[in-house]
Amino acid sequence: MTLQTLLIAFPKGRLGDELVPKLAGTPLALDAQALKSRVLRIPTATPGVAALLLKGADLPRYVAAGVASLGIVGSDTLDELDMDLLELADLGFGACRLSLCAQAGITLDALRAKPHLRLATKFPKATEAWLTREGLTAELVPLSSSAELAPLLGLADAIVDLVQTGGTLKAHGLVETAVLGRSSARLVAARGAYLSEPGRIRPLADLLMATLR
Amino acid sequence: MPVRTPHFPDLLFGSAARLRRWEDALMGLLQSHGYRELHPSLVLREAVPEGALRFFDGDDLVALRWDFTVALAGLLTRGFPEPPPRVAYAGAVFRRPVQPWEAVERFEVGCERIQPEGEASAEADVELARLLMAIPGCLGLKSAILHLGNAALVRRPLEAEGLFGALSDAVVAALSRRAPHRVREALDGHPSAARLAAHAEALLSELDGPGTLDALESSPYAGLLEAEREHMDRALQALLPILPPNLELRVDLADVAGLGFYTGPTLRLWAPGAQQELAAGGRYDRLFPDLGRPWQAAGFCVRLSRLLDLADTRPDLFEEPR
Repeated sequence: MTLQTLLIAFPKGRLGDELVPKLAGTPLALDAQALKSRVLRIPTATPGVAALLLKGADLPRYVAAGVASLGIVGSDTLDELDMDLLELADLGFGACRLSLCAQAGITLDALRAKPHLRLATKFPKATEAWLTREGLTAELVPLSSSAELAPLLGLADAIVDLVQTGGTLKAHGLVETAVLGRSSARLVAARGAYLSEPGRIRPLADLLMATLR
Repeated sequence: MPVRTPHFPDLLFGSAARLRRWEDALMGLLQSHGYRELHPSLVLREAVPEGALRFFDGDDLVALRWDFTVALAGLLTRGFPEPPPRVAYAGAVFRRPVQPWEAVERFEVGCERIQPEGEASAEADVELARLLMAIPGCLGLKSAILHLGNAALVRRPLEAEGLFGALSDAVVAALSRRAPHRVREALDGHPSAARLAAHAEALLSELDGPGTLDALESSPYAGLLEAEREHMDRALQALLPILPPNLELRVDLADVAGLGFYTGPTLRLWAPGAQQELAAGGRYDRLFPDLGRPWQAAGFCVRLSRLLDLADTRPDLFEEPR
């Protein structure tokens, strides 16, 4: 059998910014020179193990397809995509809330009373689930970034978005009116890789859990 | 015009020859063990199930055969007053894929062991496991892994706690993801949350050889599952001495794939480096009673499409054909 390089998918962006320093000095530390470049496949301190730097929204697909054996991704992304992969641990970091946010002074009851509620979000699945639980109907406006602008410019009555510190909301005059759910970083594994080669994948998964939890 | 077209695989010379060779070898193996071939119609007679590939014949909505087991069950219940004990099949099934890049048309070979109600089933389960153990050799797979599981390890505790419907589905989905934290989330506030979470931890704690069964001792349902544990133990004792070289046997206590269908022991065949299981099966004792026949059944299917893909991408896993 050919032993191929094991790939671990790491997220770019906010979650990646928290992750990379945690790996420093561990066997999975990312090569500093490569990190400074535009290269997206980065060697780690362990020979035969490399990292793929991926956008969170794409990362579960790479793992579900078995391209990467392991990955780290926010549970909000996992819940939206619902790919067939294993979710081995809640790593705890990157914690944030998925919240309904509106302009200051607009209450949840006021939003409920609207005859035609419009919500802008990049989390349609979680938003639809919450609307169903609350017995509400709304038109969803799909956005992939800068959702905070939508209520200010009249595109939507409110937004459903991730909130970590609340600083961005405050800067745009928005407040949280309801918490729909919570999110944190999760360790995921390709079903095939984990079940067919546990002796190879599980030690790496255990190492990631021990390092990051 | 649709932007996304379903993936119907065309096989070129090498793959087509390999498919025929494997079909012949597997059907020969099954027939040599007393399994007789049945060939259900490609078009389903029953109501169109969710996930089936549908099309119109004039004004009528019909569906292509999406699974051999259900199609065979219909054929058997219509055609036989008493169950034929061993049946086999080969051909294509058509179903919507879980992942968008998977094929819609898939080639399978499989078998089914059917018994009158009340007949002891342990021998039949071991017979199927032994047959499945012979399959890597038939296909020229250099090494493989057989996972033994038991759907009752999850089903019985859920039923004992009165968990059905959406909550039960959420627990099963979390176990399928091997995510104990999701089990706890799903059961938050439920009276049996602590017991079921501890059971999930026990099921997920190991994925290894026969010693894995010891993990059940830490489950709050260890007593309830004594019969299942003994059944798995006996199966292991029967199978381990005859394990072919290059086949590894693992116990997978958290195997819940197809839990809505399987009622007892489950079998999954993997190859090191394979992205998906290459064969799957188990005991499904509710299928025929639901169709009005008091028969018990177990079987497995070999997913030839996945094996063909694996042979293309990882030829190093296979022996050169003689």
